[in-house]
Order: sequence, then C-alpha cells, then structure tokens
Amino acid sequence: MNVFHIPVAGSRPIPGRDDGLPGYAELHCLSAFSFQRGASVAQELFERAAKLKYAALAITDEASLAGIVRALEASRKTNLRLIVGSEVQLDDGPKLVLLAETASGYTRLCQLLTLARRRAGKGAYRLLRDDFAGAANDGLLALWIPNASPDTTEGAWVRRMFPERAWLAVELHRGPDDAARLARLRAIGAELGMPLVASGDVHMHVRGRRALQDTLTAIRHGTTVDEAGFKLFPNGERHLRTRRALAAIYPADLLQETLRIAARCTFSLEELRYEYPHELVPRGRTAASWLRELTEAGARKRWPGGVPAKARTLIEHELALISELHYESYFLTVHDLVRFAREKKILCQGRGSAANSAVCYALGVTEIDPARMHMLFERFVSRERNEPPDIDIDFEHERREEVIQYVFRRYGRERAALTAVASTYRGRGAMRDVAKALGLPPDMVDRLARCMDHWGGTQGLDEVLRERGFDPDAPLLRRVIALTTQLIGMPRHLSQHPGGFVMSEHPLSTLVPVENAAMEGRTVIQWDKDDLDVLGLLKVDCLALGMLTAIRKTFDLLRASGRRDMALADIPAEDPAVYDMVGRADTIGVFQIESRAQMAMLPRLRPKCFYDLVIEVAIVRPGPIQGDMVHPYLRRRRGEEPVDYPSPQLQAVLERTLGVPLFQEQVMQIAIVAAGYTPGEADQLRRSMAAWKRHGGLEPHRERLARGMLANGYSQAFADHLFEQIKGFGSYGFPESHAASFALVTYTSCWLKRHEPAAFTCGLINSAPMGFYSPDQLLQDARRHGIRVLPVDVRHSVWDCVPEMPRGAPQPAIRLGLRMIRGFPEGAANDIASQRARQPFHDVTDLCVRADLDARQRALLADAGALRGLAGHRHRARWRIAGVESPTPLFADAPAVAEVDVALPLPTRAEDVRADYALTGTTLGPHPLSFLRTLLVRRRCRRSAELKRCGNGAQVRTAGLVTLRQRPQTASGVIFMTLEDEDGMTNVVVWNDLAQRQRRELLESRLLAVEGKLESRHGVQHLIAERLQDWTALLGELDTRSRDFH
Amino acid sequence: MQWACISFPQLALDDVLRRRSDAPAPLVLFEGAGSRARVYAANTAARHHGLSAGQSLTAARALYPRVNAVEYDAAAVERCHDFLAAWAYRYSSQVCRTFPQALLLEVRASFRLFGGWAALHAELRRDLVALGFEHRIAAAPNPHAALVLARARDGCAIEDEAHLLDALGMLPVQRSGLGAVCAESLQRMGLRRLHQLFVLPRAELGKRIGAQALLHLDHLRGAASTALDCYQPPDVFDQRIELPFNTVSHESLLFPLRRLLGDFSAFLAGRDSGAQRFTLAFEHERGVPTEISVGLLAPERDPELLFAIARARLDRTRLREPVCGLRLVSDELPPFTPARRDLFDTRPQRAVTWDALRERLRARLGEHAVHGLALHPEHRPERAWRVENPSRGTRHFRGVDESLPPRPTWLLARPIPLRERVARVLAGPERIESGWWDGADMRRDYYVVETASHQRAWAFRPAGEGGPFMLQGWFA
Repeated sequence: MNVFHIPVAGSRPIPGRDDGLPGYAELHCLSAFSFQRGASVAQELFERAAKLKYAALAITDEASLAGIVRALEASRKTNLRLIVGSEVQLDDGPKLVLLAETASGYTRLCQLLTLARRRAGKGAYRLLRDDFAGAANDGLLALWIPNASPDTTEGAWVRRMFPERAWLAVELHRGPDDAARLARLRAIGAELGMPLVASGDVHMHVRGRRALQDTLTAIRHGTTVDEAGFKLFPNGERHLRTRRALAAIYPADLLQETLRIAARCTFSLEELRYEYPHELVPRGRTAASWLRELTEAGARKRWPGGVPAKARTLIEHELALISELHYESYFLTVHDLVRFAREKKILCQGRGSAANSAVCYALGVTEIDPARMHMLFERFVSRERNEPPDIDIDFEHERREEVIQYVFRRYGRERAALTAVASTYRGRGAMRDVAKALGLPPDMVDRLARCMDHWGGTQGLDEVLRERGFDPDAPLLRRVIALTTQLIGMPRHLSQHPGGFVMSEHPLSTLVPVENAAMEGRTVIQWDKDDLDVLGLLKVDCLALGMLTAIRKTFDLLRASGRRDMALADIPAEDPAVYDMVGRADTIGVFQIESRAQMAMLPRLRPKCFYDLVIEVAIVRPGPIQGDMVHPYLRRRRGEEPVDYPSPQLQAVLERTLGVPLFQEQVMQIAIVAAGYTPGEADQLRRSMAAWKRHGGLEPHRERLARGMLANGYSQAFADHLFEQIKGFGSYGFPESHAASFALVTYTSCWLKRHEPAAFTCGLINSAPMGFYSPDQLLQDARRHGIRVLPVDVRHSVWDCVPEMPRGAPQPAIRLGLRMIRGFPEGAANDIASQRARQPFHDVTDLCVRADLDARQRALLADAGALRGLAGHRHRARWRIAGVESPTPLFADAPAVAEVDVALPLPTRAEDVRADYALTGTTLGPHPLSFLRTLLVRRRCRRSAELKRCGNGAQVRTAGLVTLRQRPQTASGVIFMTLEDEDGMTNVVVWNDLAQRQRRELLESRLLAVEGKLESRHGVQHLIAERLQDWTALLGELDTRSRDFH
Repeated sequence: MQWACISFPQLALDDVLRRRSDAPAPLVLFEGAGSRARVYAANTAARHHGLSAGQSLTAARALYPRVNAVEYDAAAVERCHDFLAAWAYRYSSQVCRTFPQALLLEVRASFRLFGGWAALHAELRRDLVALGFEHRIAAAPNPHAALVLARARDGCAIEDEAHLLDALGMLPVQRSGLGAVCAESLQRMGLRRLHQLFVLPRAELGKRIGAQALLHLDHLRGAASTALDCYQPPDVFDQRIELPFNTVSHESLLFPLRRLLGDFSAFLAGRDSGAQRFTLAFEHERGVPTEISVGLLAPERDPELLFAIARARLDRTRLREPVCGLRLVSDELPPFTPARRDLFDTRPQRAVTWDALRERLRARLGEHAVHGLALHPEHRPERAWRVENPSRGTRHFRGVDESLPPRPTWLLARPIPLRERVARVLAGPERIESGWWDGADMRRDYYVVETASHQRAWAFRPAGEGGPFMLQGWFA
C-alpha cells in the first residue's frame, strides 16, 4: 500500500552524488496554501525540486495541511518524496517547523493544529507553549527557526519538548552578514547541545516569482508594494536554490543533516486509515447484515405485492458490490440522515449516481422507481473505478440546518465536520488584488476588475483591456497583467462547503486539522472534496433545495384544508394532463423548467414521459448549448434528421438520447467504449472537463481520444467533433443521475401546479424568496388560471397564504397572508390569528390592543388595506389606527373617549394600486397597465394577447412592465427582457448593438415600449427589439421591481 | 424681527464643484465603498445623463462610464457650512447654522445698514453667485417659516402674519418640515397640504402626529417661539481644496488658489479682521506637502492683493511632485485697520529665531537648499532615506532600530565607482533585489569593505557577479 516506502536511513544512496554536489532535502517550504505568503503551488515546487535532484521536499504550510494532498499528488507525479509538516508561530514562544516522522507524529500534528485553529476565529490560529506540554510529541520532529536576535531560552524549551528530535534551523538568505549569523547560531547550538541543519524558508519555486511574492505580501498586509517597505523580503533568495548555490552558502555538515532528517521522516499520507462510524449498526449485527435487513424491510414497503424479479436482481447485485467495496457504513449513514429527516417531517431526496439505485429506492433515499428509469443504473458504484459513491441529499432549504446540527449531535464535534472549499483566485478578484497592491486608484481598480468579466473564450486579455480604454502595453499594466495571470488559479482562502460532511469513527483531528468556519456552530476540515477523493474519504452532501420546502408546504396545506393527504411517493406517475401543460410551457413556478430559456425549449421538445423531463432538465444548460448538441437532438426528435450511431457499441451509450451525447456520463462512456479509456481515465477526463477553462489541460486528451478512436475504427472527423463537444461541455455538463432526481422534483411540482394550483401557489409564496418569479407574478399566473385571490384582511388572514374554500368552487381561492405585507413581523401575525380565534375583532382599537400591535405594524396594516373590514378605506384606516391609544390598566374596560369625526378624502383607484404594490408587491385590483390602456391604444401599442395572434415577422409595438432583464452566459451580448401587461408576458430579445445604443432605456425603464419584429417558431414567440422607449413616467410612483442580471 | 433663510439645496455638491475648473462635466458624489457605493448627489450634467441620487455607483457608471465620481465627505460639508456662516456674519450679528444646509439671519436690524430687504437680498445673492453656491432665499416673520419657505418657495418674502398663514397653507405636507415619517403618515390619511391640517381638531390631530409635530406647526405660524443658537465666528481659518487632477503646472493651480484666497477674504470680511500670516500647503499623493508661509507686514484682506502675494511666492517655488490638494491655514487674524502705507517704513530689526533664520536661508538660497533627513522603509538604499521638509519642526534622532540592517550614516545620492583599492571584505554579500514595481528593479550584492586607506565603505556589485565595486556610502 505504501507506494513511497522509505528504507531505513543509510540504505538509500543519496541522490546527486554522481554530480559531485552534496545532497539536500528541503525541510521548510511553504506552498500557496500558506495564503498570501507562498507564491508557488505544490506541483511547481515538486517539479523544480525534482529537477534539482533534491532528496525530498517537505511542505510546511503555516498552521495548515490544506495543501498537503495536492503536495502528495505532485510528489507521486514527480516521484520525489514528500515530507509532511507545518510551520507554526507560537503566541508565547518560538517559531517552529514541525515534521511528521511517523504516523503518530502526524496525528499529533493534526491535534495541535486543530487545537490552535479551534481556539481562534476563521482563518487565524493561536498556538501556545502549554499545548506541547499536554501530550507526548513522539513522532514529531521540530526545527527551531530563531529570529534575528536568537533567544536561547526558546531554544532550550524546544529541546526539552522534543528531546533528540529538535534542530536549530540555519536559514541563510544573503543577509547583511551571513557569516556572522552562522557563527552565532553555531555557538548557540553548541551551548544548547542542539544539532544544526540547513533549511530554506522557501516561499516560491524559482526566483522569478519574486514579484508575485512581493505582491502577495502587500495583499496580505492590505498595502501597496511601494508602501510595504520592510514587510517585503529584501531579495528573492527564498526559492528552491540549486544545490550548487546551497553548497556555496552552507557548510557540508548542515546540508548532510537535512538528509538525516529526511530519512527519519518515514511517514506517508498513504498510511492513513479512515473508518466510517460504527455506531449505526446495532449490537450483534454486522454492517452488511444490517444494511440488508433495512433494504429488505424497505423493499417490502415499496413493493407490497412482492419485489419484482428485475428489482430483486438489482438489489442483490448492488448489495454484493457494496459489500465488496466496504461501503455499507456509507449507505447506512445516508439512510440515517434520511430517516432523521423523515421523522422530523423534513422533505428530502437523494441524487447522484449511487442515489439512483434499487438499494437507495428501498431505503427511501430516492423516490425514483427503478422501473421508471431502468437505464440509469449502469453507473451505480463501479468496481473498477474505485470511485467513492456519490450521494447528495437535498433537504428543504428552511430546515437543512436542523439536519446539519443533527449530524454534529449524533457524531459529536470531534467526529463530524464540513469539508472545506479551497477558494481560488478568479479573474476579477486576482485583477482587483493585484491592481490594488500595485497602487492603482480605486476607480481604476474597479474598471480593471470589471474587464475580467469579459475575458475568457476567444478574446485575449490585451484585447479586452484595449477595448475598454486601457493601454495594455504600458509598463504598469504589463506588470498588472503578468501578475494577475500568475495569480489566477492560486488558492486564496478556505471556506466551508455548502453541505459536504465528513464523519469518522475516530476523532477527525487524528486525520486532518479541523478549524472554525465563519458561521457560528460549524467546523470545517482543512481538505476539500478533491483531497478527500484522493485519500478515499467518504463525504455526504447535505444540500438545500427551496422547491422541496414549497412542495412540503403544499402537502401540508392540502392536508390541513382536507383536500388530499399525500406524500412524494403518492404523486401519480406519467399523468398526460401534466405533460400537456408542460408542452404548452405553462410552467411558471415549477422546478427547473420555469426559466425563460426552459420555457422556450418546452414547446419544441414537448416532453411526453418522465425521461423527456430528465433530458429537458439537462439540455438547457451552457454545456449542451456550447457543445452544439441541442439542435441536432431536437431535429432528430422531430424526425427531421435520421438517428444514426457511429457504431453499434456507441448505440448502447447514445440510444436514449437519439445519438447525441447530452449527459456527462455519456461523454465518459464514449471515451471508454470508443477510445479505450479505462474508467479511471474517463474520470480524469471528467475532471479535466470541469477545469480546462482555468487550467487548460484538455489537449493531451484530444490526442488520446483521437488515437484510441482511430484504433477502434472511428474517423478522425468524428474524433475531432467529439472533442469539440467535450470542450463545449466544459464545467457545465450535467450528470444524468442528478438530472433524474431533479426531474422527479420537476414532475412533482408540475403535477401540483396542474391539479392543485391554489395550494401550490400558496406553497411557493410561503417559501419565498425562491425560484424565478416574484409572488406577484405567481399570483397573476394563478389568476389567469381562474384562481380567485382574496386580499390580506385582518379578519381572515394568517401569516401564510392559504387556500380558502368558497362554496361551490372547484378550486379553492387563495387568501393572501400577512406575510405579503413587506416588513410585517411573523410574531405579530400569529398574535392576530390567535386573538381572532378566541374572539373576532370588533374594531380597530380592539385589534390593536388585543394583538398588541406597535405603531409601525398598525400603519403597515392600514396601508396594506388589511383593515378594510374594520375601518373602511385606507385613509380612514390610517387615521383610525393613528388614534388608538394604549389602554391604561386602570381603565381597561372604560369606553374610549368619543372622538370628533373628521372628513378625509377617498383614495383613488390608482392610489390604491400604488399602495398595493408598495406594501404587498402585488395588487388584486386591475393591472397597473389597465389604467394606461386607453393611452397605450392611442399610441398604437398592442396587448400581449394580441401579439400571440400576430404572425411570424409582423412589425409591432407593445409596452409593459419590465419584470426581468437577463444576460445569458451563452449568448454574447444579447439581453433578454420580459415585459408584463394585463394579459401576461412578452419575451423581448435585445441584440448587442441596440443595447449599446439605448443603454439607458434598457437599464432604467420600468415601463418600456418596444418596437420590433415578432419571431415565432415551434410555438415560441420572441419580439426582436428595434427601438426602445422609456415610458416609466406614465406609471407615477408605482413600485414595480425587476429581477436583473442574476 | 424678520428672518431670512438661505437654503443650500446642493451644498455637498457645490463644495466640490466650486473648486473644479471642469465643473460643468458630469460629476457625482458617492457614499460607501465597493459594490455598496451609492450616488449621494449628481450635478446637472450628470442628471442629464440619467444619473441620480440613490443609484448604485455601478448603475451610474453603466449609464455614463466617464462620469467623475468623488467620495462624499461629510466633514468637508460641515467645514463648508461653517465657512458660509462666517461669511453671513458680515450681514447680521444673529446668524444661526443649526439647521442642515441652511443659514438663518435676523435681518431687520441690518436693514438700515444695507438699505432694506430688496437691497440686502440682492447683495446676498450676488455674493453667493460669486462664491459658487446654489441657494434659495426666503424671508418671514419667524425663523421656522423662513426655513420652510426657503426650501419650498425661493424668493418669497412675507412681512405679516396674515400672508404667512396663506402661504403656509398651500405648502405640501412633505415640504412642511414635519419629519418624513409624520409627513408620510399624513399623506397616507389623504392629507396633502397644510391648510387641511390647520382645520382639523387640535386634540385629535395631536394624538396622531405627536406633540413635537404639533409644536412645529405652531412654530410655523408664529404661535410659539424658540431661542436659536447664535453663531460665533472662529479664530482660525483652515480650508483645503482637493484637486480633481494631479498637476505640477503653476498655471493650473491658480484657479483653486484664487478660490481659496477668495474664501479667505470673505471669511476675513465676515469677522472684520485681516491676515497677518498664512500658510499655503501644496499636498502631494505621498510624502509631505510643499508649504509656503506668507507673512505680511500688516493685516490684509483684499483678495486681489492676497492673490498677488501668494502667486509671487508660488512662482518662486519649485513643486517636486504633482499637487493633489491645496490648503490654507491662518490663525493670526488681528483686527483689520485699513493700511496706512508709509513709504519709508523702517521696521526695527528684531532678533531672528531659528525658524525665522531657516526661513530666511531658504528665501536666500532657495527652498531646497535647506532640508532635514528621514528614514524611509525601503530595501533599495537610494530610497531608504528621504529629504524632509525642515519647516515641520526638528525631530530628534531616536537611535538605531535593532531590526534594521546595518547601514552607513552617509549614503550617497547616487552610487559612484569605488576608486580606492579594497583591502578586505568585512561582510557580505548582502543581496538586495527589490523595486520591480516602479521600473527601477535592482539586483545587487552589497559588501562592507575596508579600503586601502582604512576607510569603511558600503559597496556593491551586480548580484552574483564579480568585478569592480560601486560605492554606496561611508560608515562613519
């Protein structure tokens, strides 16, 4: 197992002897994971060290092992030994480099770093002398890094803590007087009886990184390189120096000592053993038998009439595989989470390759019946790939925290933590930090940073900058560009993964340091997802999904109103009425297929079955669009193009998508089937696909794919075409296994919208903010579907929007809840409801007193029109409510002093609509545009309903409220807008040149008039804008809000 | 009593615009940083392009990318307000600057001196136009009404109570000086103008808008009176102008200089004093400002004279770095007595102080002939020390910082070849590689050497190379 097993010291020839230079192992080297200090990544460091024939390289990031797995990978690639360590500055003592000699030393290091990190805020650490006294430091070597004027008491302490394992590090960097420094350290070493060793305090792999290292220093200190002064290193000596240079600086014995220490450090990360928590298995059972028991019990529930033969075969196959790979505990953990959620009535669903298995269906992790989706199971857990199973669980977004805290409770803080995300510098942030560090003025920094948004793809950075008025050839800008390019992709800081958990039988801090997250009550390990994969640690993703909240709330409302009592599993499958609705793109509010792009696709694709929904979910994504997969698929689906396959082998892979690869899994399988990739290599390809935009690295695959395909009898043209598709996929290719789980949520939400629109609309609004549409748009859509909407009213409303059953109606009406009133607190709403339940309110004073409303709450109720039943129109309500005085206990029962009645003007209808929008964001009165309709007709504007009847190519003018502006990543410079009028929505396309010319109208208008040409195809209509006019002034103070560019 | 109110609708903006020679170009003030920056105010040209207060700065730039964006500076606005109060002091001894963006002046007492309201009114406006402030002016029998009317009805002057009630009645509730919350609340009851409030039963209204607001309505109608805090002019003038550009050209400094001295003169006139001595500081992006101290034989306040003197001094000054700001400070403001110029004014020779001597030396030998020395944290030796302006007072040598590398006390301004033979190398090489960011990257190996004549020199060679030494400095 230990690939890089190190023989005992002495038995290994010291490399480099043949060139007559002394051997050397670097024992003090920071990588870029010492954030804003290290200026090279592990791969660069190892390549350089291997080239210089170092004997070993220690990576000793400051109080961190976050970069150690990457270092391990680099070490494997370069065949140069990695020594695991960390540099620490004690709060009350010396600076040390700690090196893991043995596995127990590594564990001790993790404990120390955990202690230091957990004691400080996010990103910081505090290590104290006492921490070392707490336990034996066996297996841990220490290099003491004395400062400019060495304190021998520090050295003595180090020697006491690390008997026979402490060295005095001599780090010579061509300072003012290296010879004097060396002499002094020699004397101290002799005095303390401490051996000396050479080390480099390496911050970069080559001297050429000096500028970047200085820049990082300035960034770290929040200053500019010009003002950083002595915070910068005086020279670039802190790189991996040639052994020739080292030999000139250090005496031979100090170099020789590095080899002795390196030989002692036999620990390798490969030795780490990770165990899944055991406690999920009841006493007397094995993990395997318990998993089988749970699966069988689940299967009996799923298939009350007996498990079908096919499902039985699947279950047996899967259980055998799970057992062979020892993944039982992992499945038991997932089951445990799902069980907890179910007990707490939190809706959840698993997704990912392993989630879509018969076992998971039986365990209740997913609701996807294998019978419905047979083709998905190919990619379950593969024996050959040795890839950890992949299960993400989506929970209701409002209640996910309960699940997270459950995990912490169940396994304890010691044994469960979130995984980290190593945030890297992206274009914009890199440019911003570099430009600031080089002292550019703030507004220029902003402008430069914005340029980075336009960078990427075909345009070079120089060109982008030139277009935006910069001169990329100016020396200052050349420096900015060069440094930015170097910085992009470097790690910037650690943050927490949104929900990836790692749990372990033994305390996590024996495996990896654990630190505090920015959020209270969360702890994070120092490794990210990719690191875990490398070391074979398993993680479970607990993610948040808003639609699950909405669905659960809809179920609750249906149950409470006595209409239906149903759960996810009870939704009838394959209902043609649902697909009819979807085919009409009548999907406002449902999951995933509600966006404009999705709605434009639906009438073309016309989903007829569940698998079509899976495709629909995956196809409207930048990946398939840029890979040019959408149109071939649609043409084939419509029968306009023959469906053919390059080979019978690929037919099996591509049949379900008519010969066009749409899913990530398919691309990997093509590589396996057609180009002879091993599953492991195919997985590499997947990772490269995700990363090539940042790092490149796809080119080797182009060659491999082509070679493999040619060998298997495919044409060069096919290979090239496939490669282009893969590139287009980039990081956006969507996995089928996730699409399938999403599609189920989509189907469920569609079914609810089709059959229970009132409750579903309430469920959505009560889960807001979420999805694509505002409550106003959802309510307008409901009203267009014939649902009555009843106003907010203190005599009837509760906090939430709820369905209300008027007599004789087939569908309930929607009673708006008090939550619709912007800024109204939930507690007050509940007080109103509970007081009303005891006894109805007889007037405004009664309401204010019993529900204990403060002035602001009263005003909100009055302005929102919620008092109409108690006080009349808004003006009166406001006057009344302002006059309510809090009762003094003594006269609680005395009648209120009679007031002089005053006459107040009546609000106009337009004023009412204005107030409706301002307070509740919606109106039950006429649509604002209806007040303007006569005027709009005079100005020859058509209503959106009329547009639907106009033919393709018609020249029209229309006007509407701007509800959405969007600039899709995939369409260069095009802006999509949605206009709304009393009939519904109109989709407007604004091409780049018009957008440039009419910028103000485009960005500022709330009421916009558009002249242009209609384009209708396959039931989808767009208005191609030719001229825009801002008519916002016509609206007065109406508060409409658009959702822009999110 | 008769009160005039001058309201400054865009004080913050004017404070910035009046110092810029490119004032008509689109400009916005913004508040907040990064993505949270919002437009605080926009000038006419910017508003013409659709920029307006409350927008995010990002949105404003999207509308007009070349807009000048200046950060809103509340303290500067306060100073500006103070300055205006000092100016107004010449027209009335009762000036109140308690209300934001407004000044109140009791004017009846000044009518005789200035020839009635019409003449005074015209004079106020003429001054404000010259100073460069947007303004609205109204007069009313009580200060509260004057304040409200100035903001709502520019130019209106009301002499008696009856007219006052009519004028107030027509005011929209939002512009009546009632708090925003109160005004909004009344608006929501359908009450839009003050006369609607005046007819409501007092008790019921009071219950709804509160005693404070009721009192305000009384104040407006003159039914209640309050004492106002009167303004006292300060004894120091200290004003600065930040330039929108960096410049070394004397020519382009004249506009802000004239503006600054004009304000100074207005200030002096307001408190009826003159200047005996003032200091002009030309500020640079970094480093200490270039200062010119102007002493006058007798107190002066004529703007043209002050400008002529300052200009002459400026012309003799060489600005070593671009100027980004200008500041005028004066605390010697004796009462002004118009000059009696004596042709043969012979002032007694006084003993000169150290400061005066230094000033005189500088005047004789030039600004740069006398200077101090300062350490500067920088690895490159040429830049590790700086010339310091001696007028900032002598600072004493504090001893050597242990953490700093050993450096000779005499560093040459520019290294020269070391002519003497090197007897031996005492220390080194010390490698210095730094300064890539300003195009003067340096890569050198430094040595402490002893020359044949037993002098200790600090000398260097290009990094990693042999060859002849360059001399950087001498150890004492």
